[in-house]
Amino acid sequence: MKISFTLNKQKVTIDVDPMKRLLDVLREDFNLLGAKEGCGEGECGACTVLLDGKPVTSCILNAIHAEGKEIETVEGISKTKLGKLIIDCFDETNAVQCGFCFPGFFISSYHYVKTDGEKDLNKIKKALSGNICRCTGYKKIFESVMLACERVN
Amino acid sequence: MKFIKPKDINNLYETIDNMDQQYLLAGGTDINVQIKNGTIRDPNIIYISHLKELSGIEEENDSILIGSTTSFKDIIESRIIKKHIPLIHSSLQNFASPLIQTSATIGGNIANGSPTADVIPILLVLDAKLKICSKATNREVFLKDFFTGYKKNVMKNNELITKIIISKNVRHKYQTFYQKVGSRNSLAIAKVAVAGVKKVTKEKITDIKLAVGSLNEYPRRLFKVEKYVTGKTLTEIDFNKVDESLQQEITPISDLRSDKEYRYHVCVNLIRTFLNE
Repeated sequence: MKISFTLNKQKVTIDVDPMKRLLDVLREDFNLLGAKEGCGEGECGACTVLLDGKPVTSCILNAIHAEGKEIETVEGISKTKLGKLIIDCFDETNAVQCGFCFPGFFISSYHYVKTDGEKDLNKIKKALSGNICRCTGYKKIFESVMLACERVN
Repeated sequence: MKFIKPKDINNLYETIDNMDQQYLLAGGTDINVQIKNGTIRDPNIIYISHLKELSGIEEENDSILIGSTTSFKDIIESRIIKKHIPLIHSSLQNFASPLIQTSATIGGNIANGSPTADVIPILLVLDAKLKICSKATNREVFLKDFFTGYKKNVMKNNELITKIIISKNVRHKYQTFYQKVGSRNSLAIAKVAVAGVKKVTKEKITDIKLAVGSLNEYPRRLFKVEKYVTGKTLTEIDFNKVDESLQQEITPISDLRSDKEYRYHVCVNLIRTFLNE
């Protein structure tokens, strides 16, 4: 089935099984390897991307869910001004350890800073609550998002 | 396996009227996990997320109508819901995670019918009705009458839930309660969930509705407990009698998330907390 959508601001069309997982479409058909598969059940957030501006777990979405929509991945967002600012904040607070969960945390953090941006630890914790870090570096991750909120405001 | 994307709602009714077994795909948060772990094999899938008639929140006279493919995120952020049914707004804050709230739909949570489905106890105490339609029929069923067993319900194969109907007026001047007990705040599958609404006049409980999740083969109302406490003041309630009624109405099991004794005690404590509020 032909499916068209916008991927990192570019219009794309692919011929694909509509039930193929969106995560696999991104990784296999577009070679975008930023989003990762962790649990494969929507619980860990390593596969997070933006769909029409909202963070979603791409491992439990299908290719058909992208049809006519706008998908943004870590590859696209990291090139934006705000994306770069957030990466700098993660860098400065040493918030990334093994890095596997980072693309997911990055997307959720970007969405929070962009749509809310209040330097409020509880709100940040809630916004990132769908992402899991098994190196358990949450404290530094929260610090980096707090720093990002401070810098944009 | 077949995949069908109906061109409009009539085409959807037509399609399911002619099929033997199919799965409707909306948010996909449950079905994709079931496909992955092999619970569902080689399914016929009918995609319904693009059908505008099935999503959105609107007011109609004294009711709020929620389209079945409306996402939890849209429900949580809805001004209409916040204003008229604040219990839904507050109770769903810890539903799954912010990421899943964006995709998961209210109709999917009901139709999938998990014993732990978060939204069902809440809708049960609000006396919600479901609008169920097929090509030729159109009926309304109270949610309390919808389930018939573990993941079983009254719908025929050619029917689907189109709307969830909740009265705006019922809950004025009622106290509301919702507690979900899980291992963590986010992404928890409930060990026990208790929802309630009650009206107290001159210290007497004049009306009460209680519902529980994760304690039976599907979430259900506690009619016996409700009946026992109605018309009584707090001091007139004998909690041993509440326990007796409760034992007839819940059948907690032990599984990987918790054991039955724990579930039973937490349920008793939550009901006591609500009655004492």
